[in-house]
Amino acid sequence: MPQFFNKKLLLLLVSIIVLVALIGFSLKEREELTWPEQFLKDTTGWVGNVFNKPVSGITGFVGGLKDLQHTYDENKKLKARLDEYVLLKTQVQDLKEENDEFRDNLKKEDDLRKYSSIQSTVIGRNPDRWNEMLTINKGKRNGVEKNMAVIKSNVLVGKVKSATDFTASVQLLSSIDKANRVSAIVQGDDKAYGLIEGFDDKKNLLLMKRIPYDKKIKKDSTVITSGYGGIFPKGLLIGKVVDVKVDQYGLNQTAYIEPATDLYDINNVMVVQREVGGVADESDGEDEAE
Amino acid sequence: MKQFILSFVALIFFVFESIFAQLFAGDAFGDDKILVPHFMMIFIFFLAMYGSRKMGMLYGAILGLTYDVVYTEILGIYMFLLPFLAYLISKCMKILQNNLLIACLTAFIFTAVLELVIFQMNTILSFADMPFGEFAERRLLPTLLLNLAFIIVSCYPLKRLFEKLDLQGDAE
Repeated sequence: MPQFFNKKLLLLLVSIIVLVALIGFSLKEREELTWPEQFLKDTTGWVGNVFNKPVSGITGFVGGLKDLQHTYDENKKLKARLDEYVLLKTQVQDLKEENDEFRDNLKKEDDLRKYSSIQSTVIGRNPDRWNEMLTINKGKRNGVEKNMAVIKSNVLVGKVKSATDFTASVQLLSSIDKANRVSAIVQGDDKAYGLIEGFDDKKNLLLMKRIPYDKKIKKDSTVITSGYGGIFPKGLLIGKVVDVKVDQYGLNQTAYIEPATDLYDINNVMVVQREVGGVADESDGEDEAE
Repeated sequence: MKQFILSFVALIFFVFESIFAQLFAGDAFGDDKILVPHFMMIFIFFLAMYGSRKMGMLYGAILGLTYDVVYTEILGIYMFLLPFLAYLISKCMKILQNNLLIACLTAFIFTAVLELVIFQMNTILSFADMPFGEFAERRLLPTLLLNLAFIIVSCYPLKRLFEKLDLQGDAE
């Protein structure tokens, strides 16, 4: 009997070693997943797809009924803003034409703002809810690659963490991960650059860190991507500032940003590819501030 | 045939968890509470209790690995934890009285243990940034309530399923 017990203890120890090794292996920055992982992801992705169709049909119907309740109020509000919208639209049109003209004059073709997009459906979400991740039904076959930006109706929600042939995993902005950073700008008279990193999930606010201490940031100013990280296009909306705090040493400021979209209720997203390529070597993410 | 039915049910539990998370990720239950479904784990606990220990551990390892690969992308945590808990729970059932109420309570306690260990692991790996008090209030309590409800609803069907499949005979 003591012999038997020892065997089990040994097994436990070995498995703890394997556990630590595996965690270390999976946490390190990897260009590509190993093929068993890819195979598993593709297979479960297929199953998820099968289940997703009827489920999303039903929830779509229920959601539609819920929306119907609010339609009246929403309609009233929107009507009030219609005039404003028309004015804005003509202005934008005007500015766009002017911009194109200037670009033509300068012979400047590159634009960090330009991107092409791939439409996809969310087929799964990490039930564990620590590392906020979604699975989408488009993969390498459709042109999705690691580190591409993911948007939901023109608002940035996350980036592609890994892609297999038929599916891809999207890491949301709200995921607390040191490697999950996006270079961003606070718009205003005095532009402030910083990095979106971290999430206060009690208040549902994103943290924008490393803003120089002398920048004056107004509340309600809009935050967009800067496009300087190498991969994300410029000008994707992130959210608006609700609060600013100076960090503990007084060298930087942290802005609290309310995401412009609900990071929980996500069903359809677009994967976005910037047309201007980044620097070839800079493949490991969005971690440059300026 | 037995294996086929079992793995099919396991697959359904696996996918259902993700769909549940997708549907109720928002503020479906109000406030800022986070509900984590542990349905697959409950399935494994019941398999270890009413099926056989070996099957429980085997399915724990396979489902845990798949869970790690597909959902969390941190390999090893669930793959290690699920067979380990399945082993412990079947040991517990040897000591405790074998009735459905006790089984439910044990599964409930093990769900709490699982959630706590996962929290600790994520804190170590710095994927979690939450003091314990907040964790207990916002995650642990709602999660336990959700899973308790699930245990109550599913304990009898799961017990029937495993007893009908009679896994004790061929696996042990």
